[in-house]
Order: sequence, then C-alpha cells, then structure tokens
Amino acid sequence: STLPAVAEELLREIRKAFQESSHVPDDLLLGLKFIFGPAAVPALDLVDQRSVTRVRSPSGRTLYQVLGSSGKLYTCYSSCHYCTCPAFGFSVLQKSESLLCKHILAVYLSQAVGACQELAVSEEQLSNILLAEEEDEG
Amino acid sequence: LCRGGLAERLCRLQNRERSAISFWRHQCISDAKIPSDKSGVLIVKILEIFEECTIQVAICQQLEQSPATLSPEDAVINAEEPILKVLFTRETAAHLKSRPQDVIHIYPPWQKLLLQNADVPVIMNTYFSQKVLLGEHSEAREKTYGLTKMLIRKNIISLAQTFRIDDLNDKLLQQSSDNQVACAPQTHNNGDSKQHPLALSAVNDSLLEMVESQGAVGWREVQVRVVIQRVYCLPAREGCRSHAQGNKPLCATPIADSGPPNVRLCLLVQDAYGMFSEVQLQSLSSTDDTEQFCRRWEGKSCCLAGMKILQRTTRGRALGLFSLIDSLWPPVVPVKVPGQSQDSEMMTTNLPPPSFCYILTVQSGEIHVEVDEEEQISNLYQPPAVHGLKEILRIDGCNERCSFWAQVLYRRLQTKHSVPIDQREMLLFVTDSTLQNVVHGIPKVVAVSVTASCVLTMEIIEALSAGSRLVFFKDALWGNGRIICVERTVLLLQKPLLCSAAGADLSELTGPVRLDELDSTTQANSVCALRGTVVGVNESTAFSWPTCNRCGNGKLELCPQDRELLYCNQCSEVVTTPVLKMQLEVFLSCPSRSQSTVKVKVWHEISVALFVLLTMLLFLQTYEVQSVLGKEVGLLNCYVHSVTSHPNCVVLEEIVLL
Repeated sequence: STLPAVAEELLREIRKAFQESSHVPDDLLLGLKFIFGPAAVPALDLVDQRSVTRVRSPSGRTLYQVLGSSGKLYTCYSSCHYCTCPAFGFSVLQKSESLLCKHILAVYLSQAVGACQELAVSEEQLSNILLAEEEDEG
Repeated sequence: LCRGGLAERLCRLQNRERSAISFWRHQCISDAKIPSDKSGVLIVKILEIFEECTIQVAICQQLEQSPATLSPEDAVINAEEPILKVLFTRETAAHLKSRPQDVIHIYPPWQKLLLQNADVPVIMNTYFSQKVLLGEHSEAREKTYGLTKMLIRKNIISLAQTFRIDDLNDKLLQQSSDNQVACAPQTHNNGDSKQHPLALSAVNDSLLEMVESQGAVGWREVQVRVVIQRVYCLPAREGCRSHAQGNKPLCATPIADSGPPNVRLCLLVQDAYGMFSEVQLQSLSSTDDTEQFCRRWEGKSCCLAGMKILQRTTRGRALGLFSLIDSLWPPVVPVKVPGQSQDSEMMTTNLPPPSFCYILTVQSGEIHVEVDEEEQISNLYQPPAVHGLKEILRIDGCNERCSFWAQVLYRRLQTKHSVPIDQREMLLFVTDSTLQNVVHGIPKVVAVSVTASCVLTMEIIEALSAGSRLVFFKDALWGNGRIICVERTVLLLQKPLLCSAAGADLSELTGPVRLDELDSTTQANSVCALRGTVVGVNESTAFSWPTCNRCGNGKLELCPQDRELLYCNQCSEVVTTPVLKMQLEVFLSCPSRSQSTVKVKVWHEISVALFVLLTMLLFLQTYEVQSVLGKEVGLLNCYVHSVTSHPNCVVLEEIVLL
C-alpha cells in the first residue's frame, strides 16, 4: 500500500521543517490537506489548542488522550491506529474512507511540532483508562 | 479557529487553492485547447490505477514530450522511462475519469515526495490535471468508456501500520530533555551555560514567537519581555486544567478542595505586539500578599522564560478572561505588527481585539518571572478606569469589566452551611456619592454579587464583616443589570497607586446614607427603607432569646456547673451580661406601597439594663398586642426577602447597616 508511506513521509517532513525553522511551510500544510482531506484543518486546530496529551506509565506503556472540540476526551492507541471517537469507527473502520481520524492525525502532528503535553500516571491508572473505554462501549 | 494558528493558515491556503482550482477548471471547460504554457507541466501515462481510502493512486510513466507528437504505435511502454506514483483526490479522479493508457497533463503547482525506502517518487497536489485525448478516435472511445463503469481495485489499509516520524537519534535527545525538568537546569549546548541557565538568548518581545518555538531546540532559554497589566488570584480548581474533563478525572495529583484556600497567583501580561497571555504562577497558601503583589507589580515590565503552555484558549471558551482583555483593548500606545519591519509608520492601533490567548505556567523548580520593580511604569500599562456607580449602571453592554470605589453598607451571605465560609457567595449592598446625591431615577444602593470564584483576602473578608468600609472593586463584571465579582475581580482596601479616576474623588459621602424607600418598584434581594403604621402583629412569631455580648452567638446554653448561668460555646466562657434579642413579625401599612401587605420581621437588641424588665413582661405574657397597633414605625432599614404579586405581599427583615 502506498498511502501510509506517503502520509508518514509527509509527517516526517513536517517534523524536520519544524525542528529546523520552528515553522511549518505552506506546501506541507497543503500536502496535509491533500492526503487527509477534511480531517486536516480540525487536526491542526487540535494541535493549536494543545489538546493532545501523551500518557505514560512507568513500565513504558503509552497512549494518547485528545480533548475534542466538544469537551469529550478521546483515547488514541500508540501501538496501532485506533481512536475511540465515532468518526474513526465510521470513516476508518467501516467505510475505509480515511486513513486516520482527526484525533490520531492531531497526535502525529503534535509529535511533529512538539506540542504534546505529557502526563505520567501509574500502571493502574493507565489500565483504568483502557478499561474505561471498554466499559463505555459495552 | 485560532488566530495565528496552523489551522487558520491552512484554511486560508486551502481557500486560495480552491478558488484557483475552480478558476482553472472553468478555464479548461471554456477553452478546449491545451494551455500553451508548458513549463512545469508533468506529462504522464497511466499504467495502473487503484484506490486507497479516497485517494486514487495511479502508477504512471513519465513522458518526456507531448504524446500528440508521437503516433499511437509509438506509445509503447519504454522500460527506461521513469515510473511515478501519481495521487489524485476523489474529486479530481471523478473529473478525469482516467483509465489505463490515458495521458494526463498535470499543471503546477504539484508536489513531489520522495519516500525513504522506495524508488518511485510520489506526485501529490494534483488538482490541476487534465486528460489529453490523442486523436479523433479517442474521443469516441472516451464517450463509450464514459458509459461503462470501470472497477478499480481498492486496497484496505491495515491499522497496524503506524507511522514512525522520528529518527532514533531524535528519540534519545527528546528523552534527555524530558529528564531535564527533574534535575538541575541544563542546556543542550555547552558547559559554560550552567551558571546562568536562563540568561542565554537575547530577550525577545513576542509571546507568539516564544510559543511557536516550543519543542524546538533551545526553547527553554527564550526570554520574552512583557508588561504586567493585571495581577490577581485564581482558585486552583480553575488553574489546574489538566484534562480533568470527559470520562474520568485524570490528574495524577488530586485537586485539594478542603483545607486552606488553594489559589494561584496569576498575571495578565501583554507583549509589544499587543498579544495577551495569562501566566499562572505558584500556588499561594494565603491570599494576604495579593494586594502587595498588585501594588508592586502592576504596570511593570517583566521577563518570562521557560514557560510551559498550559492551554491555548479562545474567546468562546473563556468569556471571563476575554472580558478582561477587552477592557484593555485597544492598547494605549501603538503596538508592533508581526512580520513587518518596524518603522514607526507601521505601528498601528487599529487592530481587532484578540481572539485567542495562551495560558502559560511555570516549570516547577525554576524561577521564570523576573519583575523589574525598580523601573517605572510601562507606557503600555492601562490602569483600571474608575467610574462612579451612576455611570456604571448606565453602561450599555454585557460582560463589561468596570472598576469603582464604593461604601459597603450591608452584607448578606448565602445560607448554604455545607459550603465553607471562604467559598460562599455573598451579596454586598454598596453605594457611593454618585448614587446618594441623585434625586430620582436610579437606585441609591446597588447589590454587588460576589461569587465563589472571586478570590478574597482574609483582610477583605474581615473588613466586610466588621464595619462599613470603603472598598475598591477592580475589574468587576457588569451585565444584565447586575454587577458581579467573578474570577479576576480583585477587591482592595487601599487605593492602587495608579488609577485613572473620572472626576472628583467619588468615595466621600457627604451625608448619612439613605436607602430607597419601599415602593412599587422594589424587588426581592434588595435593601430599602420604610415607614408605616402597625396594623397587625403575628403573635406566633414573637420570640426573644439571649445572645452572647462578646460574639453575638444566639445559641447559648445553660452552664453545666450552675444551671442559672448562660454559657457560650464559641467563646468558651460564661455569659454574665447577655444581650436580649427580640424578634417579631409585624404587618405595616406603608403609604409608599399602599396596595401591598407589608410584613416585616423586626428585631431589637435590648441592653442589659432593660433585660430584667422585659424578661418579666415576656415570660409573664403581659405583652399586649393592642398597645402596638397603630404605632408609627419610623424609617426602618430592611432587606427584602420576597415580593409576590398574588397575594400582593412584601416580606422584609429589619437590618442594621454596617
């Protein structure tokens, strides 16, 4: 498959450009729009608002929590592309129309521009976050 | 969307691009000829097409020259021609209706991306693409093809394929910089910087630049020079905004809501470009120093370094903060415009009010705010504009910040006993000379609501309960006909050094305080004065009780040792000279509001000298209603509990002004 490699390279370019000049050039932003479509602007908005937190436990497990525009907190996994938001379930899983939802994209973009907030939690707290998702869906 | 943010930039770029695309498409339709400008045009021949998500991927061969010059027989795949992967959006693909063997012209601007582990370059942003028809028969073929539907293979992308956007080297660097927060401040660079870890880079004057440089190498050493416009305290609950919303609270440290007031000292700062930021400093255990910080710091310049961005908030999400920012807009001196060379002609004061604001906080363990207290007040500083209450009541807006001096006449606490005293809401009835000296049309006394989010110092709380005090209300909120003190409002006892006062000193009252008289416009939760004649007495409410003469405690008990003496729990002492309080509900006929039944709970404190006589009277039930009827009750100050229209009744309670 081609698209994931393209998306990955685009994100790498963004990270590199930002590290060198603290600035994301216009053509990379337009590239984001081209590849990710309608998710690009909302994802950037989430980055602007510093909505992404990387949650880490002492054993090294990580996940991401993204504060959506509605005030709801969504969890994105770091080991695979998964997000608890309904758009992910619909556009990515069901229809295979998008690579990512805006939250997962925001996670990558936040990594690229160093806008991730960091939160250290205990093992139990991390497990609770993961289990909480299960409870809600069950 | 956030002003100056990445999302806003992309929006603008995308709008421009969209206009360009529709203009180009229109041009293509109307002008069937191939545009003559060939520079930058990519000519490709499609070999294979498949779909991934909504992107159409076309494996193509790049053609050197326009195939119109080649005969169809020559259009054979030459193995040496470079292969490209051209991506099209769903919309472009629908427009092109490409099939294998089609030749596409891709006009600039398009982008080429080289993947790390692949040889085939990828072409993106291919909005300006046009299919080229080779010869006459292809037009007919095109039409028939247009009728048959072409099936395109769709690749399903695995979710397991995540993106690695950092190199291994970067990972290590990031880990070491994370650890830096815990240990002594170090920099990435060299050893001589250890002495002054924060004094490295030149002082910047743009908050936005500092914020945007976060995450890049060396951002911790960036210093920004700003002016402190306001100093205030915020309750810690609001300050600690670390994603404790949504499903479950996530704070690693629990939010303490019991114990001493948890407040954070905050600064509202403004940089040379007019941009605002709220800086949340350390938690204070007591709020007593707030007034001092206000006096020492407001208006001065300070240097911020190594700030951590807590949040980037917008007008819609932080109305309280932005009402304060609006009161400081426009700036009193011209501010710089970002991105332009700073000639004095470029500075402007015609900028729209800010729509976003960064909330910064300090990294623990390092001092990041250096206030130049010795320096004089900055030109950019806007002290609170003080107005008389009469002017404030006439303000025509909502959520406007206002500052005023007022005499506090009466304080009413909300009666929820479960809430600790420093978190209770209260109603203060205030006045000033502008209200007192008016004959008609506006009230003489105004109610100011103090919410729990407005942090009060112990000094103010004590002053408000003790006696009539002149209080300076800084940045209270006016809206919907009410003045409220919310977060970022500061109550001060002493006059701030710099205040732009409107007119004469408004704090001096020239005579005794007068309240509005009870009339048809009187509303509940207000104060008024009344006079009338007693027309009835509610005997069942007649009540008297002894109170402690020291603390006013109304719940005295009998002394365990000597059951003829009274004991006060709060003072832990025997009450030898109690004060007797008597309470009675009387019905009055008031000429100023003759249509209503006026019921007033009147109470009196009787001095100890009359105590014995009255005790006898009360206990012996020799109190006669008749002696009270018809008595004139002269100007009583009252608090209005309720006003009802059916039945037409006003219920009040006599009060004593501070």
